[in-house]
Amino acid sequence: MILTPKILIRMAAIGLLGVLLQLSFFSRVELFHVSPDILPALVVCLGLLGGSLTGAVSGFAIGFFVDCLLVEALGISSLVLLGIGYLAGLFRERFEIHSTLVPALLCMGLTLVAELGFAAIQLLFGIDAPVSILIVRDMLLKSVYAFFLGWPTYLLIRRILRPALVEEPRVQRRREPRVLGA
Amino acid sequence: MYRKQVRRRRAVLALLIVGSFVLLTLTYQGSRGLQSGVSTVFSPVQSVADRALKPARDLVDWFDKTFDARGENSRLKSELVTARTQAVAGQEALSENAQLRKLVELDRGPALASSPYKEVTGRVIARSPTVWRSSVNIDVGSSDGVHVDDPVISGDGVVGRIASVEGGSSQVMLLTDHESAISGKVVPSGAQGVIKPEVGNPEDLILDFIDSTKLVHGGQTVVTAGWRAQGLAPLFPPGLPLGEVTQASIVEQEAKEQVQVRPYADLRNLDLVQVLTGGSRG
Repeated sequence: MILTPKILIRMAAIGLLGVLLQLSFFSRVELFHVSPDILPALVVCLGLLGGSLTGAVSGFAIGFFVDCLLVEALGISSLVLLGIGYLAGLFRERFEIHSTLVPALLCMGLTLVAELGFAAIQLLFGIDAPVSILIVRDMLLKSVYAFFLGWPTYLLIRRILRPALVEEPRVQRRREPRVLGA
Repeated sequence: MYRKQVRRRRAVLALLIVGSFVLLTLTYQGSRGLQSGVSTVFSPVQSVADRALKPARDLVDWFDKTFDARGENSRLKSELVTARTQAVAGQEALSENAQLRKLVELDRGPALASSPYKEVTGRVIARSPTVWRSSVNIDVGSSDGVHVDDPVISGDGVVGRIASVEGGSSQVMLLTDHESAISGKVVPSGAQGVIKPEVGNPEDLILDFIDSTKLVHGGQTVVTAGWRAQGLAPLFPPGLPLGEVTQASIVEQEAKEQVQVRPYADLRNLDLVQVLTGGSRG
């Protein structure tokens, strides 16, 4: 990804909108008693499009912003999201993405990793929680929602960041050029 | 060249990880200045986003509630029978209550009648995305007279208490937060105890008994007891509805000295809440 000031502003706007959308919409709706979490999917998409460094920095920044707005313990979300952003970026640097299904599947898998990471950190910090079926259901359903949210999110972010993407194929010409009068 | 890039990438990653741990350390040392600043700047934006997205939220809620409605229907029918019986008994109590109110010239609810609290209405503007954090942010803050530890209620009952306050917003620690503990009383049995969350189960609370000699039955109401002890949330006005006893087997009461309680307030779908300001926080 070619990072110009314009692209950085676009990425910051994506992060800002994503966080506001999560806190004001996704966190406050429930499907089958579980709220979707779009932020891991957002970070995975940024990592897949920008690489490991972009993914890690985006994850850190988005996590920091969320913790600031929620007035929660700073650093927990940053740590988890930077990890999955980095992993998504590594995947992009080592493998080709041939299908649009791959980002959605990665969003699902890495959201589950993020949920597990988040749970591990919370337990390390002394929340005495039994691993109930509700927590497992919450994690699994969040991952499933991430699959469905990750798909349009990836396509949308790819469209917004298209000028910065190095290997983005050029739009094919509709007509073959022809010699006038031939 | 490639190795240099890899080294740089790893260095940045290490820096970010160290940065996260520094932030964690700062938080646990009690430094919240940065968060306060960011929260103050963005709370109007969140407020606007909250209002703008309400129709979309309502639409999703409608779908979710339609799914739930089937299962709830049979449960509600049996509850209706119980409620009718209680309503008959309640009519009598209401007329007596009206007479008593006239006598003492009160115009407020029974739980708040003798307390010095003032209600400040706030709207929920943000909610934590994980099941591990039970808190919401509301759009009233210190400029509205809200203080840390003020009780927060909704139309259904107690919601939680104020955990932190900024100029125009506050963070509410919900009943289901792992740090929450409130003194509660079962009516009419009178058994008293501490209402705590069942961590990892966002819909249930536990009433840990202090006095286990009085037996509690499912369906009984739990209200705030109004006293406080070390480690418990500050004084809530007594008599505020907290929840309903859902499971109360004799074995569990005698062995664990606790029963399960479902909060009356729908803590996962809060929209408008009231902060009770001006009470005793001692």
